[in-house]
Amino acid sequence: MTALVLALVLPWAVGALLLLADGRRRRWGWTAVAAVAANLAALVVLAVKVLPDGHETVVTGGWEGGIGIVVRADALGVTFALLSSFVVLAALVHEVLDGVRSRTFPALVVLLCTGLTGLFLTGDVFNFYVFFELAMISAYVLTAYGDDRHQLGAALIFAVVNLVGSFLFLIAVAAMYHVTGTLSMEQVAERMAGVEPNAAILIAVTFFVAFGTKLGLFPFHFWLPAVYAGTRPAVAAILSGALANIGAYGLLRFGAGLLPEELELGSTVLIVIGSASVIYGALLAVSRRDPAEMLAYSSIGQAGYVLVALGLGGPVGLAAAVLYAILNALSKALLFLSGALRGALVAGAFAVGALSLAGMPPAAGFLGKLALFHTGVEEGSVALIVLLFCGGALAFVYAFQLYQHEFWRGSRVKAGTGLEEAAAASAKELAAGRELPIAGGAAGSDVAAEPAASPVAVRAVSVVLALIVLALGLWPEPLLSLSSDAAAVLHGGAR
Amino acid sequence: MTILTEAVARLLLAPSLMVAAAILIKGYVDVGDGFAAAVVVSLAIALQYLAFGARRAEQELPVLRFAPQTAIVGLLVALSSGFFAVISGGAPFTHEPSVGARVVRIGRLELMTAVSFDFGIFLLIAGALVALIHHLAEPPELEPDLEEDAEAAR
Amino acid sequence: MTLVFALAAATIFGFGAYLVLTNDLVRVVAGMVLISQSAVLVVIASGLTRGAAPILPTGDERPSDALVQAMALTAIVIGLAVTALLLAIVARVRATLHSLEVRELARDEAEHTAEIEQSQEPQLEELDRDEAEDEQ
Repeated sequence: MTALVLALVLPWAVGALLLLADGRRRRWGWTAVAAVAANLAALVVLAVKVLPDGHETVVTGGWEGGIGIVVRADALGVTFALLSSFVVLAALVHEVLDGVRSRTFPALVVLLCTGLTGLFLTGDVFNFYVFFELAMISAYVLTAYGDDRHQLGAALIFAVVNLVGSFLFLIAVAAMYHVTGTLSMEQVAERMAGVEPNAAILIAVTFFVAFGTKLGLFPFHFWLPAVYAGTRPAVAAILSGALANIGAYGLLRFGAGLLPEELELGSTVLIVIGSASVIYGALLAVSRRDPAEMLAYSSIGQAGYVLVALGLGGPVGLAAAVLYAILNALSKALLFLSGALRGALVAGAFAVGALSLAGMPPAAGFLGKLALFHTGVEEGSVALIVLLFCGGALAFVYAFQLYQHEFWRGSRVKAGTGLEEAAAASAKELAAGRELPIAGGAAGSDVAAEPAASPVAVRAVSVVLALIVLALGLWPEPLLSLSSDAAAVLHGGAR
Repeated sequence: MTILTEAVARLLLAPSLMVAAAILIKGYVDVGDGFAAAVVVSLAIALQYLAFGARRAEQELPVLRFAPQTAIVGLLVALSSGFFAVISGGAPFTHEPSVGARVVRIGRLELMTAVSFDFGIFLLIAGALVALIHHLAEPPELEPDLEEDAEAAR
Repeated sequence: MTLVFALAAATIFGFGAYLVLTNDLVRVVAGMVLISQSAVLVVIASGLTRGAAPILPTGDERPSDALVQAMALTAIVIGLAVTALLLAIVARVRATLHSLEVRELARDEAEHTAEIEQSQEPQLEELDRDEAEDEQ
């Protein structure tokens, strides 16, 4: 219980205090890092206790269940909380090392982490909404972060569209309370079976629209590219690697956990929308030149896979959806963080991310594709297998188009002759162990606009993330058992 | 603004604060709570900003400059009164002192966690709203200010 | 009674959606406020019960549903925070663009995108030329 409460309160209090401090100073940045790291540590302790199939429940006020608000950690929630907290930590360390540009950035990131932890660990439908808004409001402010005034328009659109989504979610929560008379997820899952089908389907559709907007699925995606393309890489990594998890988790928890019958009824629709997302996102990603925009469209496509897996359902499908969501979050965070950097090893880190996105071994993304493939074979669905091949091929094309644009061409210009020389120049910088912007500039004889190599410490964050993605690909057992444990929570309702 | 609005704003401030205090304190036996009280306070302060403009209002009531700090202190008060029971092994948001235990009283006000929580909410909402009013009344000149701050940070 | 609430909520949501689609940023914010209020109305309607005050229910009369009040209050507070946030963003838009129109915002963004693309264009062409030369 201590770990559970600590994971909730600590980032909350530290985040509030940090709002008063000037976040551009290093020590406050590191305070924020410490808070998120402590949150992660508490979540790990919690995960050790909860996995593989236990759960931990705290009812506020010491009331009996059904009166107080239930805070509840089970395998699914802990998995997503760990993942999000980890991605937030990586992005925050990246930004602090790179130099924070606004007073409130560290505080907002810590508060966003609070919101995410809270919503993954709650067992109460309305409480989910409250933490959800805490995370979203921090995200609205974060998208406006950076020196670019053009970002304001994107932030406003992001806020308005997602707020409409949030209020739809609130309406669905109210409707759910109206038909079941309870807010506790456990009881809702029990009582939902007896609810009149018409009402249940309406509620399910409203939830789907709300989470589809968050996740950026095909018909609800229009806000996404502008937001991702204009923000700082760290914020984009947080949005796509941590915040988008709300959508995936919400669809899993509310769809498969609370409304399983309706999910089954709508499975065809989900598969169609998911496939449309996959194809649309991949095609548009191939056609873009701006790396951030390309990754944004790719997010739309990757969200589609989660939906397809959810639509197929069953233990295998749900496990595939969880696995895919985890891997996608990790590789997207890696790509966004490393995509903006220059210097030795970064290209390698980016390549790992690109491989992971395209689903090539040995990167971990391969597992996600494999799980989906497995699901497709099990269901005997030719269409899904074809979709997977097409989507994977397109992902390969855009991921390496991006790689080529960003790293090969860049280094060719920089070194004048060839890739090896550029690599050697960067390696020298690395060996010197310091940021040497002048040396980097000298290597690129004629191109003044060529960015200098990024600081070693910033690059190290991406490299560590890349190594984790590789390690998960080479030793997949823990991740596979984690995702099947998480999916087991859903199978047959929230236990 | 006209003389009349200024006079009304000046006259209304003290009574509004009294009403807010009443709403805050009687919330435990009657209708009212910290949130409503804070909204009343911030309405009264909004009137000051309207009547005198941001600069003069803040000259006359320097305490207004501490609005963000007030909000955060409020949040921390609320959080700690919610979670301090955890230290002694209770669930979060446990009502202390528990039912039947002896309660310290100030007049007719009983001191318990619900009161301190609500007081925290009062500070939080009042602080946040005044900060918002300040921001809308006098949008910060972003560019020069930021540069200054950046230099200070170095 | 539920029907009345449903109709009212639907009407308010409709007006809100209309305002969100207008060209004036302040109206967009007003539209969001209306939409949030319609959600609050739905929350209230979700647990309409008549009964005694739900503080220590000792009498025979059934207490009314207190949860709805708590939810509605929370939703109102969140709506307030969100409105404050939107107003702050709009204030910043006005400070930087000196305009409160959605169209202005879109125009500014389009110009910006065009600028970026133009600045990339010659570089890319040069690269293509380099590549062609390399192949030869």
